[in-house]
Amino acid sequence: MVDKLVTDIGGEPAGAVPQEDRDQLFWEKQMIAAFNLLQVKGVVVTDEFRRTVEEMPAEYYANSTFYGRRLDGMIRLLIEKGVLDADTFDKRAQEILAAGTRDHV
Amino acid sequence: MNGDEHNHDHDHDDHAPTREDDDLELTEGEARFLALKSLLIEQGVMTADEIRARMEFNERGSPHQAARMIARAWVDPAYKERMLSDTKAAAAELGIEATEAALVTIENTPKRHNMVVCTLCSCYPRSLLGEPPAFYVSKAYRSRAVREPRKVLREFGVDIPDAVDIAVHDSNADLRYVIMPMRPAGTEGLSEDDLAALITRDSVVGCALPVEPA
Amino acid sequence: MRILDIGKPGHVRTPTYVRHKTGTIERFCGLFENPEDKAYGRWGLPPIPLYRVQFRQDDIWPDYDGAPGDVLEIEIYDHWLAPAGEDS
Repeated sequence: MVDKLVTDIGGEPAGAVPQEDRDQLFWEKQMIAAFNLLQVKGVVVTDEFRRTVEEMPAEYYANSTFYGRRLDGMIRLLIEKGVLDADTFDKRAQEILAAGTRDHV
Repeated sequence: MNGDEHNHDHDHDDHAPTREDDDLELTEGEARFLALKSLLIEQGVMTADEIRARMEFNERGSPHQAARMIARAWVDPAYKERMLSDTKAAAAELGIEATEAALVTIENTPKRHNMVVCTLCSCYPRSLLGEPPAFYVSKAYRSRAVREPRKVLREFGVDIPDAVDIAVHDSNADLRYVIMPMRPAGTEGLSEDDLAALITRDSVVGCALPVEPA
Repeated sequence: MRILDIGKPGHVRTPTYVRHKTGTIERFCGLFENPEDKAYGRWGLPPIPLYRVQFRQDDIWPDYDGAPGDVLEIEIYDHWLAPAGEDS
């Protein structure tokens, strides 16, 4: 018996289905577009991306949001593939967060 | 999910999307994406223009596309047959470029109501419906839709009588699903555009019924 | 048909809730690249048959609360399927 994937939640008990809509934020739209391009260009494959999400720790997955885990899954995958350098990425993310602005992009 | 991000007002110009979130504080998630984006561009993996072009392409995927197809199918039996047998080709007939590998249309009937879920992630026919709504990607919907569909539908205000069977479609692999709702009574005189306006996003995943005509 | 539990670790697209359950083939969906290979940088070739399998909800959930005609349909790759009655 293989452990259940963290994504394999069909049939599990859960609370009420959220009825409130939520508009996509601009950066989320950009993110989807960038991820689409990574696939179209053959940099990543959808199933590789799903696998990186499945490899997330159960507790992380349970508390993650839809866009949050997509972003983290893609970052993990790009680091795994050597497209992204983990240290360079962390440093850049810290700089942008510290600056607190969107001006430099 | 992300309820704290709901609250900014939306009286901006929809045609100037680069500005729409500028009043929000930069979150860690956005900062991480911006870092990723800037590195991908610097490394020559993609350009900012390509991202913009893809965003424009993605904007075309909206519930209006599925609604146009279903409204056509309601008025044109030959088109309906083509949509049921080859949904991608039927989309192309209306100028809709479907990027999904395979699309399937499933028809609601007086004896069977259909609904769609992706339990493993959030597979969704984006070319015809846009990005999935919050409920569809929620863990609650993904968990419960396969086990207690009638109860879930009641939360949406949809009460399917026991005489009508429910078929739940788990969109778990390569096909993407479009539900064709039944045409509401009293819509005989309506134009195709007016019919399309009755077909809501949620009715195309089976979590709502079409709007009744006024 | 019976859905197997092939004990394969890693990326698979057959949710546990249908494993060991018996259903009927609703349609053949075509040949698709194997996602269980594609998830690990391989091509997933040759493509494998994919079927749409229909289950009675009562056969999946012993305590199902709904109409007896309620069904669930899901896509299953060929190597997860065995004739009804067989299980391994």
